[in-house]
Amino acid sequence: MTQANENRLHLGFLRVALTDQGYVGGLLVTNHLGRPLEFQCTTPVRANRTQQILYGPTLEPFIYSELIGKTLFERLAVKPHLLVIAQDNVLDVRRQIDIPVISLLEGNAGQDLPDHLRVGLGRQKFQLHQDFAEDLERMQKIQSRIPGEADMLEPLERVHDALKETLRAGAVA
Amino acid sequence: MSSSLNSNTEDRPENTPSAIDLASLALELVSETETSSLNCELRQPDIHVTGMNGALKRLPQFETSTPGLLGKAGFVPRWKPFWPKIKTFGVNFPAGIEFLPPKKQADEEEETRAIQVPAPKPPQEGEEARQPTRIKPPSNALSIEDRLFFLLQPPLESWLRGQELIIPFEPFPYQYQGIAWIFSQDSALLADEMGLGKTMQTITALRLLLRAGKVRRVLMVCPKPLIPNWQREFKTWAEEIPVTTVEGGGERRRMFWNMPGSLVLLCNYETVVRDFQSMPKEELPHFDMVVLDEAQRIKNRGSNTAATIHTIPRKRSLCLTGTPIENRAEEMISLFEFMKVIPPHSTPDVKQLSQLAEEFILRRTKDLVMKDMPPRLDRDEVIDLSPAQRQAYDYAEKEGIVQLNSMGDSITVQHVFELVLRLKQICNADPLTGESCKLERLVANMEEIAASGGKAILFSQWTKTLDWLQERTRQFGCLVYHGGVPTAKREPILTQFKNDPKSHLILMSYGTGAVGLNLQFAGYVFLYDRWWNPAIEDQAINRAHRIGVKTQVIVSRLICKNTIEERIDLVLREKRELFRRILGDGDNENSSLSLTASEIFGLFDLRARAGNKSKSIGPPKPKIDPAAA
Repeated sequence: MTQANENRLHLGFLRVALTDQGYVGGLLVTNHLGRPLEFQCTTPVRANRTQQILYGPTLEPFIYSELIGKTLFERLAVKPHLLVIAQDNVLDVRRQIDIPVISLLEGNAGQDLPDHLRVGLGRQKFQLHQDFAEDLERMQKIQSRIPGEADMLEPLERVHDALKETLRAGAVA
Repeated sequence: MSSSLNSNTEDRPENTPSAIDLASLALELVSETETSSLNCELRQPDIHVTGMNGALKRLPQFETSTPGLLGKAGFVPRWKPFWPKIKTFGVNFPAGIEFLPPKKQADEEEETRAIQVPAPKPPQEGEEARQPTRIKPPSNALSIEDRLFFLLQPPLESWLRGQELIIPFEPFPYQYQGIAWIFSQDSALLADEMGLGKTMQTITALRLLLRAGKVRRVLMVCPKPLIPNWQREFKTWAEEIPVTTVEGGGERRRMFWNMPGSLVLLCNYETVVRDFQSMPKEELPHFDMVVLDEAQRIKNRGSNTAATIHTIPRKRSLCLTGTPIENRAEEMISLFEFMKVIPPHSTPDVKQLSQLAEEFILRRTKDLVMKDMPPRLDRDEVIDLSPAQRQAYDYAEKEGIVQLNSMGDSITVQHVFELVLRLKQICNADPLTGESCKLERLVANMEEIAASGGKAILFSQWTKTLDWLQERTRQFGCLVYHGGVPTAKREPILTQFKNDPKSHLILMSYGTGAVGLNLQFAGYVFLYDRWWNPAIEDQAINRAHRIGVKTQVIVSRLICKNTIEERIDLVLREKRELFRRILGDGDNENSSLSLTASEIFGLFDLRARAGNKSKSIGPPKPKIDPAAA
């Protein structure tokens, strides 16, 4: 049993989107084969005018990371070993949680990044948070479990579809 | 000044200096500031007439004290960032069954590695990348939890690849769609045309459902001859899933029914009916899913089989059949009742059936999905009867017709049927001399096929004919596979036919060999005699012409000239053409093509005497109304 737990690898996929109703976030936890284990999503979050003025350009990173990212992570019953995102401004969620967070590097982006902040997983390249260089070592263990042809962005599409479905159904409104 | 002072005193917290201190403060102000601006009065003390004013004239003694500060100096912001608590909504997925990887034997290792799912090929230039197959929630899934369960499942392509599914070939896109559809439907009828891989789609969907924790106990019901076929298919497509075949004596079967932890139970219709009828209702075993193969077996809902099968306690129902309608649209009602999409004993009309079919039936035909499949070439070999056969045939027909005519109106279709069978047997071989024009043609063709290393399947409706042929085709390594062969011996026969290079011919009966077998390595099919129903013939032909076939399949129908066989062929051909025009090319197998009573009568010009004249015998020919059809 213990060995089975040790062998388990859970991956988290976080996506935050701005909708007509406000900011919503969804976090899907899968096993290393992509099979879903748990999904959490938030109600829409809106910033009022005072908040928009006072937070200024830091508003979105704050909502993405501290409000939505952290809340969703805390709600999870199945904690992932890695959080995958495709939005730069969510990367700061790493400050709120104690697992590596990797953000997609699209195309040739990130070529000027130092090697210790770049990591390949599946078919894609990702960026690590600059203040948590030690994540690279933790990532190496995870890398060996993920096949090279795995599409790490595909689960984020599922999160996107699930968010649309929940908003459509009014489940979280 | 005054107002600001008042304001300060009002704002002061309760623990700041008291009213006495205020008085002293007022006095200081009196001595140091203009009194006119102060809101208070200063008076000389009155001196009493008794002169007792000495005390009053003493200088007052003051005690000084230092009052505390009024509050923090500077600006204290009162606004704090406040965000209402965020609400969340979550879905937990059931824990799926985890399987140990199947044990590999040393000598199998190489082969196993060779047939793993190939990695996706990058699209060629100019070729569009194929969209992955996502599972869609069924239209009747109302709760958001149910919908999210399906929406959040991975695309089938990546899921199957991740599981390292042992699979002989990458499923076709339509098969992926079929698997996704079965996965999401609680009630489903998969009616793909024969040869499109219903078995593979079902097993793969089951495999995924077990892993997703959606089902944990499955009952698979099939005709008895297909039990070995399902066992073999499960071994091929889902080696890790244990399949228990319910067989043996009553006690042993009871143990199987009640055995916890058995994932897939495989049983034939007869045994299911017998065992479930013998069990009290409250003791019936429950299943997460019941699959009926060749589900047309329950088409008659008044039958014992249908009534019993309907009572099996279950959560999901899946029917498999290549021929959902054999004769009438009403046959689907029993299947829908099993699928729990209509109330028991209800009678939906054709329009309602059509709506139900749209939602709960998935049917694809080869014409639509397998455009690049090697073609099937149909060839009618019209042969002259040998002299002995001709003599026997003419005599039998003449005598038979005379006999039927003499029966007048008491004649039944059964009488005509018997004559047809008799004549067909003579076409196969003369009963006296054993002469057979068909055998001669077969041997000539087989010599060519065997010389080129090919393999052929021959179908006949009579096991006696097959046994007779076996004696005369031994030079081609002939094997026999029909209902008279014990079930345990059937699998080795198929294996030998596939693997033995000296075995070029297998003789099969329509009843046993027509369904469920995969013989796509055979490039030739002989229909030694004609079945009544072209759908059954198609089923037989599709043993060879199915997915995985590498070369074209040549189908030879042996038809004796100027005999009943030609007349049957003509009627079937006309009906097939009529249905093709009505139903379109997409549905080229419809079992209602089988001959009706009036058509069987019409094979002969039967007339009864009525005085000096004669009148036709038999039921009137129905007019075919295309709209009704």
